[in-house]
Amino acid sequence: MKILVCMKQVPQKDAPLKLNETAAWIREDVSYEVNEPDAFALEEALRQKEKHTGEVVVITSGPARSQQVLREALAKGADRAIHLEDNAFVGLDALNTAKAFAAAIKDEKFDLIFTGLQSDDYGYAQTGVILAELLGWPHATIIMHLEKNDSGIRVKRELEAGFFQFVDMPLPAVLTIQSGINKLRYATLIGIKQAKNKPIRKVAMAEVQSAIGENLQKIEHLYVPQKTKKTEHIEGSPAEIAKKLVDKLRNELRVL
Amino acid sequence: MLIFRKPIPGVERPQMPADVVIVGGGPAGMACALRLSQLIDAHNSAHPDLQMTKENIYVLEKAREIGQHCLSGALLDPRSIRELLPEFEKEAPLDAKVEKEAVYFLTQKSKFKLPITPPPLRDHGNYVISLNRFVKWLGGKVEETGITIFTGFAGSELLFDGNRVSGVRTDDKGVDKEGHQKSNFEPGYDLNAKVVILAEGPRGSLTKQLVSKFDLAKDANPQTYGVGIKELWEVPSGRITPGEVIYTLGWPLTTKEYGGAWIYGGKDNVVSLGFVTGLDYPDPRLDPQRVLQEFKKHPLVSELLAGGKMIRYGAKSMPYGGWWAIPPVAGDGWMILGDSAGFLNSARLKGIHLAIKSGMLAAETAFEAMKKDDFSAASLSQYQKKVDSSWIKNELWKVRNMHQGFEQGMYAGMFHTALQMITGGRGLRNRYPAHAGHEHMRKLAELPADGGAEAHIIGPAKGDGKLTFDKLTDLYHSGTKHEEDQPSHLVIHDTNICNERCVKEYGSPCQNFCPANVYEMVDDATQPNGKRISLNPSNCVHCKTCDIADPYQIITWVPPEGGGGPNYDGM
Amino acid sequence: MPDTILVVVEQREGKLNRVSWETITAGQAVAAATGWTLEAAVVGGTASTFAAEVAAKKVAKVYAVESPKLEPYTPDAFAAALKQLITAKQPKLVLMPHTYQVRDFVPKLATAMGRAVISDCIGFKHENGKLLFTRQMFQGKLAADVSFASDAPWFATFQNGAFRGDKAEAGTAVAPVETVNADIADGVVRNKPQEVFKEAKQAVDLTQAEVIVAVGRGIKEQKNIVIAQQLADALGADLAASRPICDNGWLPMDRQIGSSGQTVAPKLYLALGISGAIQHIVGMKGARTIIAVNKDTEAPIFEIADYAIVGNLFDIVPPLTEEVKKVKAGG
Repeated sequence: MKILVCMKQVPQKDAPLKLNETAAWIREDVSYEVNEPDAFALEEALRQKEKHTGEVVVITSGPARSQQVLREALAKGADRAIHLEDNAFVGLDALNTAKAFAAAIKDEKFDLIFTGLQSDDYGYAQTGVILAELLGWPHATIIMHLEKNDSGIRVKRELEAGFFQFVDMPLPAVLTIQSGINKLRYATLIGIKQAKNKPIRKVAMAEVQSAIGENLQKIEHLYVPQKTKKTEHIEGSPAEIAKKLVDKLRNELRVL
Repeated sequence: MLIFRKPIPGVERPQMPADVVIVGGGPAGMACALRLSQLIDAHNSAHPDLQMTKENIYVLEKAREIGQHCLSGALLDPRSIRELLPEFEKEAPLDAKVEKEAVYFLTQKSKFKLPITPPPLRDHGNYVISLNRFVKWLGGKVEETGITIFTGFAGSELLFDGNRVSGVRTDDKGVDKEGHQKSNFEPGYDLNAKVVILAEGPRGSLTKQLVSKFDLAKDANPQTYGVGIKELWEVPSGRITPGEVIYTLGWPLTTKEYGGAWIYGGKDNVVSLGFVTGLDYPDPRLDPQRVLQEFKKHPLVSELLAGGKMIRYGAKSMPYGGWWAIPPVAGDGWMILGDSAGFLNSARLKGIHLAIKSGMLAAETAFEAMKKDDFSAASLSQYQKKVDSSWIKNELWKVRNMHQGFEQGMYAGMFHTALQMITGGRGLRNRYPAHAGHEHMRKLAELPADGGAEAHIIGPAKGDGKLTFDKLTDLYHSGTKHEEDQPSHLVIHDTNICNERCVKEYGSPCQNFCPANVYEMVDDATQPNGKRISLNPSNCVHCKTCDIADPYQIITWVPPEGGGGPNYDGM
Repeated sequence: MPDTILVVVEQREGKLNRVSWETITAGQAVAAATGWTLEAAVVGGTASTFAAEVAAKKVAKVYAVESPKLEPYTPDAFAAALKQLITAKQPKLVLMPHTYQVRDFVPKLATAMGRAVISDCIGFKHENGKLLFTRQMFQGKLAADVSFASDAPWFATFQNGAFRGDKAEAGTAVAPVETVNADIADGVVRNKPQEVFKEAKQAVDLTQAEVIVAVGRGIKEQKNIVIAQQLADALGADLAASRPICDNGWLPMDRQIGSSGQTVAPKLYLALGISGAIQHIVGMKGARTIIAVNKDTEAPIFEIADYAIVGNLFDIVPPLTEEVKKVKAGG
């Protein structure tokens, strides 16, 4: 099984974020980490490789600092990496990012492509699905479980409200992987050492420039959400409070 | 039931051979690695047929990222970094050169500026730096030279072969709260090393293990410590100039406590400020984080910070014991660097330059050992000799009795310090004795119920949320994070003492001296005093205060699962 | 011809997914702001059976997009069918709710048409003739107003609860329904979905909960948690807790909200006996509405609460639970 895992480096979950001078993006001087859902996608790919043999390749796009994500993946057992390295990749929308990836892997023959179900920074949840459409491959999202069978794979999709669904799919396919479906492995000392010798193919912006275009959407304004919070005190006896609250729940908040 | 972390017994561990293992990626460890690399590179250019390899030299760093657990004021005396990297000014992240210093003695409402800055506190020629950024940079250089830094891996115990240190065992990963293996369990590696270099910072856990096993401290003074509680602030432009240095003595401490504050102007309107409290104060109810909050209320500080924003918080202990508290620093298969050894000038309040120098001297020793393939105690003792004949000794010799002079209080201390300054450090006699800090702690029964003169610094800070903060809010800004499901790395050897004795005798000071709300006494009707010790290990900021200050000395800090800890970005 | 907005509603298990009404409300709001015409579409095997319900709302027209190949749902079929409809009817803006199903196909649909989707929006603005869609970034720490930089059709999905489904205006007359037969060739659909089934979840995913009842230290003892559980059950909510509760083992770790647990932004968050330490706040301050019960008037939780009840939760909660049950039963 040849599996590509698309990974993203995002600001650390509790990093204090500050807007840059033009308020077009955040200041880069924060700590970064791997997008958590992508770590689960990688773990699933490594498990599939352990089960069926094959190769796991990881890919990311971003400035030099995002190579860390690839290094960690290689240390955990991925075989090689592809780094679309350029600051400009940070500003690409999901469609262009998917186009860049598709261009970078055009000479490869993967059986499966995994992404995390969404990123912790943008949270669009689109890149994997767009990539499938660009490649002309079938796809499924929010996958909890995956098993190989004779006609391809059977995946378990998570639906809302506690529902699930199995779907049979042919290969090759793109899957977006749900978080928390497995326990993430630790990189070992030997894995880290070996990672130093694993190849990272650098892809410059120039190489994929012709495949991408202008962004089709634009962040006009990035800001700290202002909450104009007016705290309303609800008073009275417990019975009165109960009635007032339920009234609010029913008529204002429409929860009942 | 509290389950404490210890290496899982009976598990097969991967073995990895090593020439040199440096435990700790702080300024000492990184300087050591870099110097060793320089020496090997020089050797290899001169001897193309006798190449030495860096393949088997490793730095173990418990933080997820290089520099992430490094915290200090800090002021860097560039003496040793200049030796290591003569061009460092061109590339090191230095905030500012020190231009202005002032020392104030504070009372609650006033300040008295010392007309002359005492020579040890004169900082011209020194740099205001962020130790975290500095170490990140230095670590980057180490990686560039091809030495492997394993981040996210802690040295959890030393390996011995008879009386020889034969290596380091790394932390077991994937162990749950009950001490059982999780599905992603990874046993710690046994790094079998020809020499282990301990650069763990103050109160290193492996250093403690080593000193105890070989009774290394038998001829030395007990090491004494202070804890530095630091906040990083962004203030309105113009409030402080980059490179401005202020030290304070006095308020909010009384004559019975040792300590003082620093305020350093960094760049981009960032101020580093903090309060160091000696961990030999008498009142167990004293809370060092509270001390910092009270300090900020003084007009000197509140005016500086008004309208500003606290952006980061942290704490770290520091060794005050000076020259006489340093144990032997080299032996069969081991060397000790930096704060782990106690290389800190408590008069100048500086240790980074000494850490770097010690790292360099150890590297030279390790290099010679590698060349001859002789890592015996005799060979490694070169390090001891180098230290003894270096400017490390010169500098520390002059202040060898500094902290001990304060054991009887502030006035006595000032008298002794003055005397030591004119006698080249001797004072009344060549070697002043010392007592471990926790021995100074008095029982509650001996102290006024309301705290007396210390009333304003005992108990937790409430905080106003703008200038001052309660401990939990401050703690949030340390960015500390750990894998939640793991055994407690604060090993308490007998919790009955906590529940049955300490509650009455000292009032559970762990709740006060821990800057991170790790320790809590919760209600428990089944206990004789109605209270039971409860831990929040994942709040820990790795300062080691508990290991130092606990009056019964029943707490042993061991590294938690690697990768966990504070995030001292910019500190 | 005026520009149109097309709302694609979702049907689930033989019923219209009620989140669709929220999208209708959204569409009506955009229509009011822009002056564009609002239309709706239902997609499915027998979409026309649902169309009538939609046609009762204030929309100009309803399309029932049908084909046996649209049952069961697959992204291939839905994307193909909607591409046909959109190509034919040329709406300016296509709106959908940000459901798991929509996430599964709308990026594919837009890409097939060379367009973009602004997903998971919490609102919109109409400024100087420009439509901006507001969405949360960095898990709610920042917000972004995003515009389209392409030709129509534009695609946007709205977060659950961003608009009020009950505020979808009814139409004065029933809107006309046009049945559209989707022409989906053989071989287009590649996935073979099996029956949908329910399973006891191994782990709780609080990020999907609409209403959360959370307990803190104020609950005092493990055996008291049942008081909160009863309220949660009555409300159809999920039970959660602040860190100390989970640390004690009183509730499993996956119910923890806060910097070392989950970050949630539900429609309603009830904080019972939670002081509001910053470590907890950062995990829930994105909640649409926060109700806090605490006996300490100075508890920091009240700074971010919409409704504050200063009192003993043991006195306040049981009558509240009873009142909720009463109202729910009474209708």
